Amino acid sequence: MGHEGNPFVEKAIAREISRRQFLKNVGFGAAALSGAQLLAACGTFGNASGGSKSGAEAGDITGKFDWKREDGTTIKLLLNKHPYTDALLDRLDVFSKLTGITVERDIFPEENYFDKLTVALSSGQGTYDAFMTGAYQTWQYGPPGWLEDLTPWIENESATNPEYDWEDIYPNLRAADQWNFEAGSELGSGKQLAIPWGFESNVVAYNKKVGDKYGVTEAKTLDDLVSVAQEITDGESGMYGIATRGSRSWATIHPGFMTMYSRYGLEDFTISGDELKPGMATSEAIEFQDKWAQMNREAGAPGWTSYTWYQASSDLGAGKAGMLFDADIASYFQNQPGASNEAGNIRWYPGPTGPDGSLATNLWVWSLGMNANSSKKMAAWLLIQYATGKDHLRWGAVNADMVDPVRKSVAEDGAFKDRLDKAHPTYLDTFNQVIDQTAIQFTPQEKFFDATTSWAAALQNVYRGDDAKSVMEDLASNLQSEVNGG
Amino acid sequence: MSATTADDRAPKKVSSGRRALRPYLLTLPALLLTIGILYPFGLGVFYTFFDYSASNPQPGFIGLENYTNMFASSDFWSSALVTFEYAIGTTVIETMLGVAVALLLYRGSLVSGVLEKVLILPLMIAPVIATIMWNLMLQPSIGVVNYLLSPFGLGGIEWTDSPGLALFSMIMIDVWVFTPFVAILALAGMRSLPRDPFEAASVDGAGYWYTFRRLMLPMLWPYILVAVIFRFMDSLKMFDIIYALTQGGPGDSTMVLQVRAYQDAILFTSFSQGLAYMVVLWAIVFGITRILVGVLGRAQARAAGAS
Amino acid sequence: MESTKAPTSNERPGGGLREVAINLLTILYFAFALFPVFWMIIVSLKPSNELFSTYFFFHPTFDSYRTVLGLAGDSGVPFVRFFMNSLVISIGAVLLSLIIGIPAAYAFARFHFRGSKDLLFTILSFRFAPELMVIIPLYVIYQKLGLFDTYIGMIWVMQLVTIPMIVWILRSYFQDLTPELEQSALLDGYTRIQAFMRVAAPLVRPGIAAVALLSFIFAWNNFVFPLILTSSNAQTVTVGSLTFLGGNRPNYNLTAAAALVAAVPPLILALSIQRYLVRGLSFGAVKG
Repeated sequence: MGHEGNPFVEKAIAREISRRQFLKNVGFGAAALSGAQLLAACGTFGNASGGSKSGAEAGDITGKFDWKREDGTTIKLLLNKHPYTDALLDRLDVFSKLTGITVERDIFPEENYFDKLTVALSSGQGTYDAFMTGAYQTWQYGPPGWLEDLTPWIENESATNPEYDWEDIYPNLRAADQWNFEAGSELGSGKQLAIPWGFESNVVAYNKKVGDKYGVTEAKTLDDLVSVAQEITDGESGMYGIATRGSRSWATIHPGFMTMYSRYGLEDFTISGDELKPGMATSEAIEFQDKWAQMNREAGAPGWTSYTWYQASSDLGAGKAGMLFDADIASYFQNQPGASNEAGNIRWYPGPTGPDGSLATNLWVWSLGMNANSSKKMAAWLLIQYATGKDHLRWGAVNADMVDPVRKSVAEDGAFKDRLDKAHPTYLDTFNQVIDQTAIQFTPQEKFFDATTSWAAALQNVYRGDDAKSVMEDLASNLQSEVNGG
Repeated sequence: MSATTADDRAPKKVSSGRRALRPYLLTLPALLLTIGILYPFGLGVFYTFFDYSASNPQPGFIGLENYTNMFASSDFWSSALVTFEYAIGTTVIETMLGVAVALLLYRGSLVSGVLEKVLILPLMIAPVIATIMWNLMLQPSIGVVNYLLSPFGLGGIEWTDSPGLALFSMIMIDVWVFTPFVAILALAGMRSLPRDPFEAASVDGAGYWYTFRRLMLPMLWPYILVAVIFRFMDSLKMFDIIYALTQGGPGDSTMVLQVRAYQDAILFTSFSQGLAYMVVLWAIVFGITRILVGVLGRAQARAAGAS
Repeated sequence: MESTKAPTSNERPGGGLREVAINLLTILYFAFALFPVFWMIIVSLKPSNELFSTYFFFHPTFDSYRTVLGLAGDSGVPFVRFFMNSLVISIGAVLLSLIIGIPAAYAFARFHFRGSKDLLFTILSFRFAPELMVIIPLYVIYQKLGLFDTYIGMIWVMQLVTIPMIVWILRSYFQDLTPELEQSALLDGYTRIQAFMRVAAPLVRPGIAAVALLSFIFAWNNFVFPLILTSSNAQTVTVGSLTFLGGNRPNYNLTAAAALVAAVPPLILALSIQRYLVRGLSFGAVKG
């Protein structure tokens, strides 16, 4: 535009033009407001310093630890309608008595929960002090600074109760919520963006009746599993072999699919230099995905492309599916008395290993995060440490549905083990067989949802008969530019 | 007879200045109540000139780049295509079915008295919940629809597995929910029509279809068109039904513009990109409605002439 | 029950086949329209363990309704409160829109004034904006203005949905009235307002009834605005119904029960307005 040399002048001119354009469109006498002023006024380019916070930071907390430090404060939680939420609600009065803090909470439907959380956090407002989140979401909410770094809180002895025992939480789970925002860098270093609360590993659940008949637990390789699934489909009327998720969503990739994918040693992305290289178009990956699609086509659910965890797990419970390769807790819910037709008949095993005997398992971990713009951080931290503390988690494991404990002490608790082995035999065995290899198998990057949703759409196309090689190569080339800031 | 203003012939009791002000006074509150939306809307448009996303919270000005990228990608055009397929499919079917149902009820029959009372029922179920229920009914493994169809050998239909069937299913759900909307408006319109022309025609021995085509339809057109405008507008922007049923799948085959916009803006937190889609969608709705309103104006003139 | 037979239908004596056909077609449509509702009722009565393994034969229970209405302990969803919220918001929104919209519709129909077409289109155009587009800025603005999670805030935002419908649909009805009737009232010495209230308004009663009902339903069923712009205080019944769905199992029975309970107020409104929709214009005095 004639000012090539000077970027600042260029930017100023550009801003000038945009402002004039905007004002012309609105037609109001808003000429006095510059674009930047408007944005600042509404704080919508929400960032860490956009909100109105006046509370203490981690470093401000000194003195002896005291549960009643924030007596009289009120905090607001955003929660998903979930049994973990129910367990917390059941004990909120215990918490309030302990701390004198009043807890208000909004409970939202699962389908729309993250929409609400995204809007709430991106606005830079401190409406919610703490909330539920998953690990992948921290890759999205973390980099813009919407999540409070919890490391200083954990390490501050004045802020954290002495029995908290941070190390008691499984290392893979602690790492799952910890990232340094460098694309491709391993999890486990950087800011602690959330605290693990209750998690889910992905294994194979099956109906005991067909399990015995067709030898499900003998299936040690994927090919074995596929043939067992085929036998079930052919041999049982009204039942098909194996249910997995297939809807056009990131949630389709992350449970059973990603678990088996990782057991094959395959990667979603590899790092070469500074760039992330998509890994789903290698010949091994293509072969695997072809097999996975074929398994679902021939021995899986009809209408697979609309299957979310609802349909998949309820098919197992209804006796329509012989097996389910998905979150262990989904089938646990189907196995509870009165929950489904096949309640009581469901068993678990880790599923097939990879060609090298790998039992790498992907996980989902519901975690509790803190709003960086909250003005009540100390009170929120009290809630979070209570909810993720030994006492509450043990209570939840023995009396409620928090049955994939994030804490080692809870997983080894006698009462918990008794209860589970009696009501859901083989659940804990399976849990213990995979726990050491259970971690987030994805490569952390900010465009996780972008990439994984497109991956699910591509998988759907393969399922419907498109050539896997060309579909995946297309996907890989799109993702290449997408995730590297294209 | 044309609807001329009564003003010219009314006795002048009030100063002409005040009289001229009157329509503005009557209509301005409606405008004022709704004008607040301009600011958020303008802000949304404003954001599309930046590259604002969660991974870029301090965005830079990029001018029309969001738009040029969008128009250059095949994603946009396939989304636009399926959006139109959906909107036209639903609007046409709902209009024809709605007028037909209204006619049946207007004409009256043994069952119409009772059934008319429940005409509104589907409309009362929120579209998102209607879709969830239909999804349950259409699920091949445990759904009741396939169960009822299996004696006819049609029990294996996979309602959302192919692009064609998926589009059909979502149109069917939309038609199920919103046909009563058209029917009610048409029925109320039919019942508001003056009797004289019809009595005259009946006296002249005009047949039922002739009466309908030549007399009723032209007078009914303005009512029908208003319903069409609202349905078409809403269908172009439809989100709930499509997202709840297929999330835009299988593949990308039902990714209407609104779903793609939501995906980009909220799911992927690429706010500017998603907003650009929404702005274009808004422009499309704006343009088409303008055309339809023009058609409405002509239809109203003709209707006035018909009576 | 008022006779619904139109004065315009040409009833040929001995049209027995036609009668049968009309009845059949009517029944066909209503079978399509009512079956899903019937199915929802069935689903709402099924216990969880029979949800997916039975069709028409099962052991019915009212447990879902008990849970939804909060009679079986705290479900975590204050559904009854949401129900009240929806009532306040929807009724408030429609009343406000009627008060503002009826005069506006009348003015657009009766007066030809400068800019009327543009103004009319502008009012309609507020409905064009995709809700998702304005939702994030609205969220922030509402927070700053203190309208977040309030009845007033929700009633105001619902105007975007209800006013365009009311103004546009009623305008058609007003346009259909010949001015002569009002003129004679004016000549009789009534003021313009009285002419309107005594002559014009009663004649468009079916239209007002229809449009009040329709805009109430659209406000009642709106999903996106309450989802984002409310919190626990003013949350509405549609979001509440969906909240029951998830968490541990797909609780279709709970959601169906909730949705059916939520459909009661619109249904009551529809049934009570029926007589306005049924009766056509009386006295046949409208058009010459």
